Amino acid sequence: MISENLLSIKNLKTHFTVGESVVKAVDGVSFNLEAGKTFAIVGESGSGKSITALSIMGLLPNNLAQTERGEILFDNKNLIDLEENEMRKIRGNRISMIFQEPMTSLNPVYDLSFQISETIILHQKKSKEQARKIAIEMLDLVGIPEPQKRIDSYPHELSGGMRQRAMIAMALSCNPKILIADEPTTALDVTIQAQIIDLMQELQKKLGMSIIFITHDLGVVSEISDHVMVMYLGNVMEIAETSELFNNPLHSYTKSLIDIAPQISDEKREIKVLRGEIPSPTNPPSGCVFRTRCPNPGIGCKGGDIEMGLIEAKPGHWVDRCCYECNQT
Amino acid sequence: MIRVENIKKYFPIKDGFFNNKSGDVKAVENVSFEIPEGEILGLVGESGSGKSTLGRAIIRLIEPTQGNIFYKNKNITKLSDSEMRKLRKDFQIIFQDPYASLDPRKKIYDIISQGLKVHEKMDKNSINQKVEEIIQDVGLQKEHLNRYPHEFSGGQRQRIGIARALVLHPKFIIADEPVSALDVTIQAQILNLILELKKKYSLTILFISHDLSVINQIADRVMVMYLGHIVEVANTSNLFSNPQHPYTRSLIETAPQIFRKNKKKTLLKGDIPSPINPPSGCVFRTRCPNPGIDCKGGNIEMGLIEVEPGHWVDQCCANCN
Repeated sequence: MISENLLSIKNLKTHFTVGESVVKAVDGVSFNLEAGKTFAIVGESGSGKSITALSIMGLLPNNLAQTERGEILFDNKNLIDLEENEMRKIRGNRISMIFQEPMTSLNPVYDLSFQISETIILHQKKSKEQARKIAIEMLDLVGIPEPQKRIDSYPHELSGGMRQRAMIAMALSCNPKILIADEPTTALDVTIQAQIIDLMQELQKKLGMSIIFITHDLGVVSEISDHVMVMYLGNVMEIAETSELFNNPLHSYTKSLIDIAPQISDEKREIKVLRGEIPSPTNPPSGCVFRTRCPNPGIGCKGGDIEMGLIEAKPGHWVDRCCYECNQT
Repeated sequence: MIRVENIKKYFPIKDGFFNNKSGDVKAVENVSFEIPEGEILGLVGESGSGKSTLGRAIIRLIEPTQGNIFYKNKNITKLSDSEMRKLRKDFQIIFQDPYASLDPRKKIYDIISQGLKVHEKMDKNSINQKVEEIIQDVGLQKEHLNRYPHEFSGGQRQRIGIARALVLHPKFIIADEPVSALDVTIQAQILNLILELKKKYSLTILFISHDLSVINQIADRVMVMYLGHIVEVANTSNLFSNPQHPYTRSLIETAPQIFRKNKKKTLLKGDIPSPINPPSGCVFRTRCPNPGIDCKGGNIEMGLIEVEPGHWVDQCCANCN
């Protein structure tokens, strides 16, 4: 790819030690995030989407999680190797994050003015008054009516949609290069979800940041992202441009997800089903992790002899080699 | 099967030192509808629209403030508690959150058999037999009966919730957002299970959901609810191919889709207003993308009119269009 990679992740592994067993929450994830683009990570709960994001932000407790090997390259630095005080300069400033549940991620005992100013004062060395002014501008930018008045509200005085807007304002207040959005619309009603997606796209155009958008909803992916990565049980199944992925999926997990996603159509469709549940990450299947649920596993695949690993099937379209080889034969 | 006439539910708000009533939360306003036997009626709306309250009011889990409910042509609104209790086994609910709706201290066997013990005078063996039969019907095994809820995944718990609801062979089921808390692959499994069991047990279902795509897949007919009012009713294919109310239209246009035919999106501005103080006249007018002149003033009363056979829409919007 010729276009510029803002963030480049190579073979990221985040493992947790729980008692005697090791949970491989993220097990060898690689992808590139291009400047000004939106990269979606999609998967079921337990697939490792959020842990990937938290690893990039360096927000996992060191004593529990080992981010082994691998590289997170941003600005010619490997974020894994950075000391905590260096990471602090990046977090919330150059890379920031918004979360699923805006009620639990805003602090209920502080007003918006304090919470939004905090990052501005810390990272941009502004005075309190200047920070408050910027905070008001940010609230205006994210479409909160009467920002002059709203700035002194507490989180419980806002509706779910307004809280999510306030979170976005806070995340964008230092003009970050990358915004990581972890299921930002999942807790919201459809009409509000549409407003927030629209807002994020508008802000991306205006501010030119890149977005990593984590979701379980393929419909939302199709609306917002340029590239998609499908994850399952800590592993990457497929990476491609959004339209390529939906029109020409290569992995059987991706195909199943597209088949079963509920879609509005005029005539009644048969409901398709993918059997079974995601296995426990403490004891994942050997070889291809998806083989226990695969609708049409190959012979090599069934035995669990094929190791996981991405193959570039077409330029820019990567798929796990197990499924790729199955489809070839 | 079920007929509801002008049902209303107001929750009083009490304030101050003497607990004086200072207002009402108008959760459900003048709702009338019928569910014929064997139908899946979808009820869709945002949070705060009154879907769950309506669902609970029609089986009198909360007492409606006004209106009449008929079950098999019998008015059940005024039945005494003991008479109502006998009917209870015909009505069951499947809840949204399979984590909160199963008692964590009870074994699965006890959770499922409780209804049988209360309603049917059966000996232990026949109870065992029934429970074992139903647990297999929902796709779990006998061995699971001796376990506790925390040992199961979300999808399995929802299966247990369904088993609990069906063990008494009810006639009418209210499924209150049964798949909202589940992953997509599990969601499809549960929807399929509900359809299978509907056939096997000849159920009539009120299916409540905020997700139009789910409603589209499962319902025969759909009611759209907004701020306590039904704003549109039609059979599923009619509603989705020819929506009349701007609220329905916007819901359909903004539902995220993988393959979207129509790129046009009409975003609704703002949030759903408070049901304590709803807008006068048409309750949707504060968010309507193109309100008419009469509509803006709030002078048009709410009420459904039939625009084509079986397709009802609120009169305010029907006139505007």
